[in-house]
Amino acid sequence: MHVVVCIKQVPDTTNVRINPKTNTLMREGVESIINPFDEYALEEGLKVKDSLGARLTVVTMGPPQATVILREALARGADDAVLVSSRAFGGADTLATSYTISMAIRKACGGKTPDLVLFGKQAIDGDTAQVGPGVSEFLDVPLVTYVQALRLTADGAYEVDSQMDDGLHVVQGKLPAVMTVVKEASTPRFASLAGWMKAAKAPITVLDEKAIEADPIRIGLKGSPTKVVTIFPPPVKGGGEKVDARENAADGVKAIVEFLEKKGLVK
Amino acid sequence: MSEVIKTDVLVIGAGPSGLATAISIARKAKAAGDEVPRVVVLDKGRSLGSHVLSGAIVDPSGFTGLLTDEEIEKIPCDAKCVKESFRFISSEKKSSKIPWVPPMMSSEGYPIVSLTKLVAYLGGIASKEGIEIYTGYAVTSLIEEDGRIVGARTGEKGLDKDGKKKSNYLPSEEIRAKVVVLAEGGAGILTEKLINEKNLKGVRPQTYAVGIKELIDVPAGTQTAGETMHTFGYPSDMGTYGGGFVYHVSETQVMVGYVYALDYRKAEKDPYRMFRQFKATAAVASHIKDGKSVAYGAKVIPEGGYYAVPKTYYPGCIIVGDGAGLLDSLRIKGVHISLQSGQAAATAILAELKDGKGLETYPELLKQTSGWKEMKRVRNVRASFSKGMPVGIMAAGLAWMTFGAFPFWRVGGCDEPDHEGLKKFDENAYKKEMASDVEASPVQPDRLTDVFMSGTNHEENQPCHIKIKNISKCAECKEKYGAPCMRFCPAEAYRYEEGNMQIDFSNCLHCKTCRIKCPMENIEWTFPQGGDGPRYTRM
Ligand SMILES: Cc1cc2nc3c(=O)[nH]c(=O)nc-3n(C[C@H](O)[C@H](O)[C@H](O)COP(=O)(O)OP(=O)(O)OC[C@H]3O[C@@H](n4cnc5c(N)ncnc54)[C@H](O)[C@@H]3O)c2cc1C
Ligand SMILES: Cc1cc2nc3c(=O)[nH]c(=O)nc-3n(C[C@H](O)[C@H](O)[C@H](O)COP(=O)(O)OP(=O)(O)OC[C@H]3O[C@@H](n4cnc5c(N)ncnc54)[C@H](O)[C@@H]3O)c2cc1C
Repeated sequence: MHVVVCIKQVPDTTNVRINPKTNTLMREGVESIINPFDEYALEEGLKVKDSLGARLTVVTMGPPQATVILREALARGADDAVLVSSRAFGGADTLATSYTISMAIRKACGGKTPDLVLFGKQAIDGDTAQVGPGVSEFLDVPLVTYVQALRLTADGAYEVDSQMDDGLHVVQGKLPAVMTVVKEASTPRFASLAGWMKAAKAPITVLDEKAIEADPIRIGLKGSPTKVVTIFPPPVKGGGEKVDARENAADGVKAIVEFLEKKGLVK
Repeated sequence: MSEVIKTDVLVIGAGPSGLATAISIARKAKAAGDEVPRVVVLDKGRSLGSHVLSGAIVDPSGFTGLLTDEEIEKIPCDAKCVKESFRFISSEKKSSKIPWVPPMMSSEGYPIVSLTKLVAYLGGIASKEGIEIYTGYAVTSLIEEDGRIVGARTGEKGLDKDGKKKSNYLPSEEIRAKVVVLAEGGAGILTEKLINEKNLKGVRPQTYAVGIKELIDVPAGTQTAGETMHTFGYPSDMGTYGGGFVYHVSETQVMVGYVYALDYRKAEKDPYRMFRQFKATAAVASHIKDGKSVAYGAKVIPEGGYYAVPKTYYPGCIIVGDGAGLLDSLRIKGVHISLQSGQAAATAILAELKDGKGLETYPELLKQTSGWKEMKRVRNVRASFSKGMPVGIMAAGLAWMTFGAFPFWRVGGCDEPDHEGLKKFDENAYKKEMASDVEASPVQPDRLTDVFMSGTNHEENQPCHIKIKNISKCAECKEKYGAPCMRFCPAEAYRYEEGNMQIDFSNCLHCKTCRIKCPMENIEWTFPQGGDGPRYTRM
């Protein structure tokens, strides 16, 4: 069984500041990390590796610095890592990204489709949640999104709990499949020091547009119909009104009801 | 059981001293035409530099012999010290310039840096030399066999708050090394344990100060990059060694810090409040006008100087940098001595790896460094300050002028550890202090806002790493000293109420003030999960 996990390098938002003049990220001192949701996808992949002896490949598309997150994935137990990297991929939107990643996955699997491809629910910077579904289309493999529990047997039969707005969907099927994974699935493991030492020396496959045999007009800016017009931080919301009802609950309730009436929300 | 990791050299701590040791080993080996030994550097911070904090005006003498001219040129630094002043602050409003400063106190031309960035830079150089650096691993114990340190163990990860294993439990790992280098910085846990257990203590016990610092953004066009100011006096009491600094690291950023000696006697003192009072003085306010604090942190400084330096060698193991108290406590400069100690260490280590002996020459090699000579020269100054600021300032001047010949005897003072000698809590003095609170503003955030800006973070579901040895002693302490932990902790981690001690360990900045100053010696600081703690990016 071959499992591929797609991970994205994102800025660590716990430390991000926005430049108020240009509205762009101030990257000074901002670390890059594995997209937090991808850590859950990686952990699901590692669990499949542990329980069924699957081979686990991690793939990222990004600049050469993105090797750091690939090494971290190797340190945690992934078998091999692929960096999809070239200037030609720059400025890709979700469509071009999905196309590029799907071509890279095929290439990394010797032209075949892997049994299972895992994605995070969404990237914390782009936030579109489109790349997983996009890759599923390009690979022509069934998709299950928002997976919070995966039960898989060696013959490829699976049952997953998928978190949907109307409740938990229990989906049964047979591999191949593309899945996007949510936080509730698991607690990501730590990399051991010995694991890091091995990962630091492990080879990383680098694939560019030629290696993945991409159609040049479907990658990078050229392959991206989306146009970013402007980027801005959401306006700061006002503090709201506080009703102090510690002394007198009845007055507090009255104040809230009056407030809602004024807004026309209750009659 | 996980596999045992084997290396030639294990360096514990990736601060300036640890990284200098590593870089110097690689470079000296190459220069001698030898194979570079395997050197593994471990740090508990999440990434390189996230647990270091400094001023910092760096005396460039430390880079000599370690870095190439080109590398020195490229040190991350936006400004060199162009203008330097020393002021005595007598009150909130008043201060006066100290007219004459011994020329050797001068830092003009020295780079002003963020130590976090400098450490990241040195880490990059080390990696290129083939040094292996791993962050996010706390080393929690040393391994000793037949009277020799032969390795160390990392801390486990993934324990829950009751100490039970979680699903992501990671066991401790064992590393065997021919040489172990302790580069833990001030008040290093393993270092202190070794010093105590092996009786490596110096002539005097180590004495510390806590340094509290903010990075403040100021509007462009209002300040001069490279301007620096050092202050003495208010808000410190005359009996305590204390002072502040203001370094304009760039045109739009100022580093403001306050340093307060932990041998202070007045239990009601609160160094963090003093830091804010310091910022509110007229002397400082003009430097940070219309500014906004953007980063915060705290760390202890070993100030004992020459007489407090422990024996720096034990079979299999040596101590470098602040962990050995290698700091000029008059100038509060330690980076250059750390770098020099690392270079001295490298020579001894390479000899040891070659012939199985040579490590014991490290203390001698250390004595040949210019940093050591400087420490010797000011050896009596810190103790003189324990007799009050005026005596100290006089002693400082005399020591410099006479190249340390005066005073020629060992001045008394600083003879007891910092936790001793605290006076009874003075309710009235405390109330008076509380009344003079500084109002909150962008440039004067409150303590918890500051803690937030340190980026400190600890997984909540893990055992509390700050341990109270005997809770009944806290009641006694509250009665006598008014629970000083609630004030000396710059991160507000302690709250003692109605016989109950609540510790917000997630706030902890790893500064170690608590284990140094707790008058009951009742606080044990253990390592939280590796990678947890402050996330300094520009300290
Ligand atoms: C015109 C244009 C220009 C752009 N320019 C830039 C730019 O210069 N710099 C920039 O950072 N962004 C740029 N973007 C944004 C970029 O398109 C998206 O970040 C990217 O397509 C992924 O979408 P997402 O972040 O919403 O990921 P999601 O769809 O939310 O991600 C879902 C999952 O897909 C996987 N995944 C996503 N991206 C990758 C990846 N690169 N490698 C491996 N797995 C991945 C992960 O598993 C992730 O959890 C640009 C977009 C447009 C339209
Ligand atoms: C407020 C302040 C201002 C200062 N100003 C100046 C100045 O202007 N100029 C100057 O030259 N010096 C200054 N200093 C002193 C200077 O910062 C120190 O001398 C120097 O940082 C010491 O370097 P070090 O490598 O010994 O220790 P540190 O810089 O403290 O580094 C030690 C490292 O070891 C890690 N570590 C510790 N224990 C373990 C463990 N068990 N396992 C794993 N990792 C561990 C820590 O996380 C840390 O990263 C100042 C200090 C302070 C606090």
